[in-house]
Amino acid sequence: MAARDNVHSRLVAWLKILLPLAALGMLSTLFLFSHSIDPTKAIRYSKVDVKKLAREPQVTAPDYAGVTQDGTAVTVSAAVAKPMTKAETPDPARPGASASGIRARFERKDGATTTVEAPQGQLDPNRQEIKLGGGVRIDTSDGYRIRARALTGALDRTHLQSAGAVTATGPLGRIEAGGMVISAEAPPAPAKSAADVGAAPGPYVLVFNGGVKLIYTPPGKGN
Amino acid sequence: AIAQGTQVPLGGFKTDPSAPIQVTADKLQVNQADGTALFSGNVIVGQGKMRLSADKVHVTYAKPVDGQKGKIQTLEATGGVTLVTSPTEAAQAKTAVYTLQSGTVVMTGSVLLTQGQNVLSGQKLVVNLPSGMGTMEGRVTTTLQPNAAPKAPPSKAKTP
Repeated sequence: MAARDNVHSRLVAWLKILLPLAALGMLSTLFLFSHSIDPTKAIRYSKVDVKKLAREPQVTAPDYAGVTQDGTAVTVSAAVAKPMTKAETPDPARPGASASGIRARFERKDGATTTVEAPQGQLDPNRQEIKLGGGVRIDTSDGYRIRARALTGALDRTHLQSAGAVTATGPLGRIEAGGMVISAEAPPAPAKSAADVGAAPGPYVLVFNGGVKLIYTPPGKGN
Repeated sequence: AIAQGTQVPLGGFKTDPSAPIQVTADKLQVNQADGTALFSGNVIVGQGKMRLSADKVHVTYAKPVDGQKGKIQTLEATGGVTLVTSPTEAAQAKTAVYTLQSGTVVMTGSVLLTQGQNVLSGQKLVVNLPSGMGTMEGRVTTTLQPNAAPKAPPSKAKTP
C-alpha cells in the first residue's frame, strides 16, 4: 500500500513545485509579449501652450463684412486675428486688429469683384482701412492678376492702393509698374443726397502709375 | 476718286506685325467697364525697329473670351506723335492710329515725314508696316535738298 501512496505523494510534491512555476511563467508572458505600451503616447493631447492662449486673447477665423459708400460689398476674413498691442495702435481707445492669412473680397454692384489675399495685415477701424503686407495677391474679375509687396484697402469706399512696385498679368499682357490703385471714379453728377451716393458709382478704374511697362505679344497667325 | 497719294518707300523698314509690342508710359488707366486702356505721360510704343512716341495712347482691346488672352485691336496715339522707323527717318503728326490686324499706321494732322535730308509734308500718311511702304495724301509738298541727295546723280537742271 505504501508504494502506491508514495507515488501519489511524490507526484503531489512535484506538482507543488511545477504548477506555481508554470503559473509564474504564464504570468510573465503577460508583460513579455504584450505590445509595448508607451504611457506618454497613450492619449493624444494638443501641443498648444494653454498659458499662452489664456494670456493673449485672439479670435480664430474672424469675419468682417461691410458695404462701402458706393455700394461695394466688402468681406474680410482671416485665419487668426489678435487685437493690436498698445504700441501698434495709433489710437489706444479703439485698437485695431492684426491678423494673419487674410482674404478680402470687394464685390461691386455691377458684378465686378476683386479678391485680395495676404499673409498678414492690420485692420484699423479709425481710418476704416486694412493694411496688408508680406506679398499681396490681387485678382480682379476681368482677368488681372496683380502681385504687390503691400497694399492698403479702404473699407468705407472703393480704394485699393499698392505700396511699392507691382507686376501684373491681364488681358493686355504683362505689366510692370511703380504702383497700382483700384478705385471707383467719383460719379460725374455730384451726389445730391445720401441715397444718390450709393446709386451711381463711377466706372471701376484700375490705374497703374509710377512708370508703366507693358509687354503684349500678339496672338500667333493662327487666330 | 482714287486717293492720289505719293508712294514713299520707307527705307529698309519692315516690322513683323506679330512681334511683341512693348509700351512704356508714366501711367496706365484701365477702364474695366468698356475694356479700354489709356497710357498717358510720354508714351513710347515699340515693336521691332518701329518706335511710336506720343503724349497719350488709347488702347482698345477685345475682351478675352473664356480665358483666352485679350487681343489689342487699335492703338490711338494723340498729342505730338512721332513715328521713328529708322535712324534717318521719322514722321510727325498730330494723331496716329495703329490697327494691329492690318498692320497699318494712319497718321493725320499736318504730317511731316523726314527722310535723311528730304522733307515731305501732307495731311495724311498711311504707313503699311509689314511692307514698309508709306502713302502720303492731301496737299503733299516735298522739299528736296539737291546737293545732299547722295544717290541721285548731279542732274543738270537745278531744281529751285
